[in-house]
Amino acid sequence: MKILVASGKGGVGKSMLASSLALLYLKKNKIVVCDCDVDAPNTGLWLGETKSDSIEKISTSFKAKIDLEKCTKCGKCKDVCMFFAIEKNENYHINPFLCEGCGACQIICPVNAITLNSVKNGEIRIRNTKYDFPLVSAQLYPGEAGSGKIIEQLRKKAEEFDHDIMILDAAAGTGCPVIASLRGCDYVVLVTEPTPSGFSDLKRILEVVNHFKIPYGVVINKWDIYPKLSKKIEKWAKNKILGRISYDKNVIECIVNLKPVIFSDSKVVNEIREIFSHLK
Amino acid sequence: MEKIVSTGAKGGVGKSTFAILLAFKLSNQRKKVVLCDCDVECPNDYLILGKKLKDKKPIYKEYPILDKKKCIKCGKCSETCKYNAIFWVKEKYPIFIYDLCSSCKACVIACPNKAIRTKKQIAGNSFINKINDNFWLVTGISKPGVLDIVPIVREAKERAIELAKEKNAIYLIIDTAPGTHCNVIEALLDADKTYAVTEPTPLGSHDLGLILELLKKLNIPGEIVLNKADVGNKKVIEEVAKKFNTKISIEIPYSEKLVDAYCKKKLNKMVDLI
Repeated sequence: MKILVASGKGGVGKSMLASSLALLYLKKNKIVVCDCDVDAPNTGLWLGETKSDSIEKISTSFKAKIDLEKCTKCGKCKDVCMFFAIEKNENYHINPFLCEGCGACQIICPVNAITLNSVKNGEIRIRNTKYDFPLVSAQLYPGEAGSGKIIEQLRKKAEEFDHDIMILDAAAGTGCPVIASLRGCDYVVLVTEPTPSGFSDLKRILEVVNHFKIPYGVVINKWDIYPKLSKKIEKWAKNKILGRISYDKNVIECIVNLKPVIFSDSKVVNEIREIFSHLK
Repeated sequence: MEKIVSTGAKGGVGKSTFAILLAFKLSNQRKKVVLCDCDVECPNDYLILGKKLKDKKPIYKEYPILDKKKCIKCGKCSETCKYNAIFWVKEKYPIFIYDLCSSCKACVIACPNKAIRTKKQIAGNSFINKINDNFWLVTGISKPGVLDIVPIVREAKERAIELAKEKNAIYLIIDTAPGTHCNVIEALLDADKTYAVTEPTPLGSHDLGLILELLKKLNIPGEIVLNKADVGNKKVIEEVAKKFNTKISIEIPYSEKLVDAYCKKKLNKMVDLI
């Protein structure tokens, strides 16, 4: 069973909830946790983990390179590049921050002056946590492309560990990395907060979840910062509501001290247990 | 025109709040400002400003279509596609999977018999809202399910630049998505100045390190905005600031009043915070 925690909006409590659910599932299940936010992986911090046992550099993207000795400056490569990655001053050159490695320029070049080279664009990290379950995460190197493909590799790696529950923690947003995290999941826990943006982003991520026809439930985090809107969201989500979590400064204390929330005496612990009881 | 970016790899740290406060502050000084919301997957600035999106302009992406009369079933297109978006088995026509397509058109070029054309489909929209006499908002928004959103960021930004020129705006403020990948990079390109918004937690410091590393690679100057400055542990942010030789130029204390103003769409009353 694969459970994804997602939200659309960032900073609403995905990693906090994903790490808490993982520790609750751990009591009766073999679990693996997969941090699918490869831009800014944070699930480990909520589990008190700052290190990795193994790091494997991976390559899931290409970048074009122009051989200036062969280049006849015909400009065809620049014309076909849909990513505006080919710039011209004295010579033609590739802007590595824009190049997607699609290869269109390589095909069009009449003198074979362009090569595509694979780049090490990220790394996969594995940690056997102090609670004795594997945490698999990845870091896309800042400035590199290919987050969706890194997530595919990351998930393959997570599958290698014996488990009956996989908890996946998505990045914010609704685009490429989130779609790569969603594919093949059995259930999605959608986290939101009672702000106009939290509610709007919940509706946007839900459109994507419905596109893949994956069952889901909704959690309202920090519900008491704006109770009126929380009620509105509950009314809107109807029977999909899994529960609400209060705003509690103790949660911030937990992350500052790298202590899992579920082992604290914050009032949110019982609220998260309640949510968990609806998931089992 | 000065291009100022509000970014920060972590979500929910206050990127949009800061961008809007800055836009109000400058426009209150009678300086003309265009704010461009480049978080096109989840644009929220218009919501926080209490506006309904206006002046819609579609943004297109091109997707391949096959001319079966010309296709010789050679599989060259499938072999070329770096996104695994073209499915082909021997002696059959290729199938295009639009969900995976990046619109790079490499297949169009690779086809030896010119059997692939492209057709335009709406991938998103941009909008313009007037906030006050000196403040306009441009919003880019992607269609849910669209994989590659960089073109939407690019076109929203282009529209904002055009509007800024037309209105003689002095400042273009760009609000990015969380993260550090391609859509954020597109929003950051050509920036004159960047504010990396963060919070004083290990999450904030970890992600601040990532965005400052990206800024360094892109060679864009940055400063740090520390939001919720009085909760958590400021030391962790100071360490990253020191490591990257970047100053913490603005500190915003946590206040329930600010949360309330954010929820109730009244951030214009809070400009004194920055």
